[in-house]
Amino acid sequence: MISYDAKGVADEMNKTMKAFALGLVIVSLALVPACRSKKTVEPQTHPNTTTSATVPEVPPPPVTSTTTTVEPPHDFVQEKPVQEEALPNDIEELNRVAQQRGLIADAFFNYDESTLSAEAQNALQTSASWLKKNPQYNLLIEGHCDERGTEQYNLALGDRRANTAKEYLMTLGVDSSRIRTVSYGEERPFDPGHDESAWSKNRRAHLVLVGK
Amino acid sequence: MKNFFSLLLVLAALPLLAQTTVTTTIGQQQAAQVIRIGIPFPDLPPGLDAQTINNAFFAPLTRDLAASGVFAIAPLPPGVAPTADLAKRLNAYLLRLQIITEGADYVVRGRTMDSTGAEILAKGYRGQAATLTKIAHMLASDLVQQVNGNKGIFLSQIAYASDRSGAWEIWLMDWDGGNQRQITRHNALSILPSWSPDNQRMVYTSFTRGTSDMYIINRVGGGRMRVYTGLGLNTSATFSPIGNDIAFVGSVSGNPDIYVIKDDGSNLRRLTTSSSIESTPEWSPNGRQISFTSGRSGSPQIYVMDAEGTNVRRISFEGEWNDDATWSPGGDEIAYTSRVSGRFQIRVANIVTSQSRIIAGEGSNEQPTWSPDGKWIAFQSNRTGRWQIYRMRADSTDIQQLTTAGENKDPDWSKKAE
Repeated sequence: MISYDAKGVADEMNKTMKAFALGLVIVSLALVPACRSKKTVEPQTHPNTTTSATVPEVPPPPVTSTTTTVEPPHDFVQEKPVQEEALPNDIEELNRVAQQRGLIADAFFNYDESTLSAEAQNALQTSASWLKKNPQYNLLIEGHCDERGTEQYNLALGDRRANTAKEYLMTLGVDSSRIRTVSYGEERPFDPGHDESAWSKNRRAHLVLVGK
Repeated sequence: MKNFFSLLLVLAALPLLAQTTVTTTIGQQQAAQVIRIGIPFPDLPPGLDAQTINNAFFAPLTRDLAASGVFAIAPLPPGVAPTADLAKRLNAYLLRLQIITEGADYVVRGRTMDSTGAEILAKGYRGQAATLTKIAHMLASDLVQQVNGNKGIFLSQIAYASDRSGAWEIWLMDWDGGNQRQITRHNALSILPSWSPDNQRMVYTSFTRGTSDMYIINRVGGGRMRVYTGLGLNTSATFSPIGNDIAFVGSVSGNPDIYVIKDDGSNLRRLTTSSSIESTPEWSPNGRQISFTSGRSGSPQIYVMDAEGTNVRRISFEGEWNDDATWSPGGDEIAYTSRVSGRFQIRVANIVTSQSRIIAGEGSNEQPTWSPDGKWIAFQSNRTGRWQIYRMRADSTDIQQLTTAGENKDPDWSKKAE
């Protein structure tokens, strides 16, 4: 059904420095404005190939920017290596910081799709690396959809998105017993807006760290 | 004996009925035989407030009868006693009401005479103040049954989800939007209620444990239980019209399929095996078929299968995204949510021919549910900018908004008239 561009990424990631992972994120984010400015319609992605050369339109992460033109979020630029940063004890604060620093990152999806784009795979690779180094946390993956579908079908679609992300994390070496999934369908949008900017933020597998 | 006597009265009145009915047109419906009925506001004993009685009793009663398709309200001349002479002169039925109090109880009596002045129904009801509206619905229901043999739907109720308490919970309202009340207090996302065929239970989905689980709540006593399925999702649960089976969407490793389970959590059966997304099962009225939504063609479309999971065929061919299929009580039509030109509408399709018509209006319109008599459809619409529940006739006339507080969705009309 769903094939991943594994390419031994899991092993590589383990050996590669953190900076490389961050570099991937930054590079992919830098691509975002270019892609968006083309105003391409929903790219045709084939369900069985996620290695397509075309970069699918990828929503920006929910950064603090209030303008509609999307700048690469400065939040992701590291001042110093992440392992030297003390992590907050409060689990909600930890999640905020972990997302902000890009230690864990959500996977975003195209409309009515549950296959992982290259960007979504990058986000999950980053997340898997951190999760494997921090076994004291478990993970809840929430599947979310935009409002353009129907409530009941979207609950099922969100379930598939969350599980697609879970399976890929397992492929990358995260123990399945650490991961729980839940689908919220279109019940809990991240952005309450009614345009593509909002919808693209709402089609995601949202990674939430939970205590053991 | 009483019923037998009533029957005799009706039989005796039948030849006269034919003369006394008038033909009018309701909305866009074909001309129907409608009986004019005059209802004088009752003389009230001291201590009863006319405004209160009007809001709680008289207004719901006249609204029910006006919406019944059986009666039309006849205006009455002021200051004229409601006698047999008046009935003859107006060529209309007369419903004479009496309301008195006995201790904490209200006693309501309704006497209906036909246009010859002959009494065709005399009934009394007793209850506390909070039951006055229910008495109005009962009286209207009894009167409609007396005239055309079928119970009115005025005692039916619509379950729905509302966020007005701060969290999405299951709520209930009368068929006309009255008496809105909260019935779950999970303080967590609780959605998609669905009535049992005897109206005595409801099944719904709640996230109260952090996952989506299936719950059954009892009408009497309000007790609830979680139905453990061993699967993920547990959404779109719906009672079989026969027996105690529940169809629902279950998921294993991100593959949502249609399953059936007994209401005690035993005998789990998987009905669909496609690798695509399946959701939203709904039983046909005879329980032999199940409609559902599947993405197997590349977009969500409506399919029907036999209740054992065999003989699958697609029945929606128009619309980019179809979901929420629900069978008319007669079993000949299916209403569903259908996206046309980027906007969701309610579509009603013939189950055999798939011929369909669109029957909604502005905004997005989703999650249709039929009244027990198949004459009305409730649905949710965001035409005001917020999700609210509406009711309309199945021919799309007489659209009325039923909810206003908070946001409201997932309407499910009780399954049988009471």
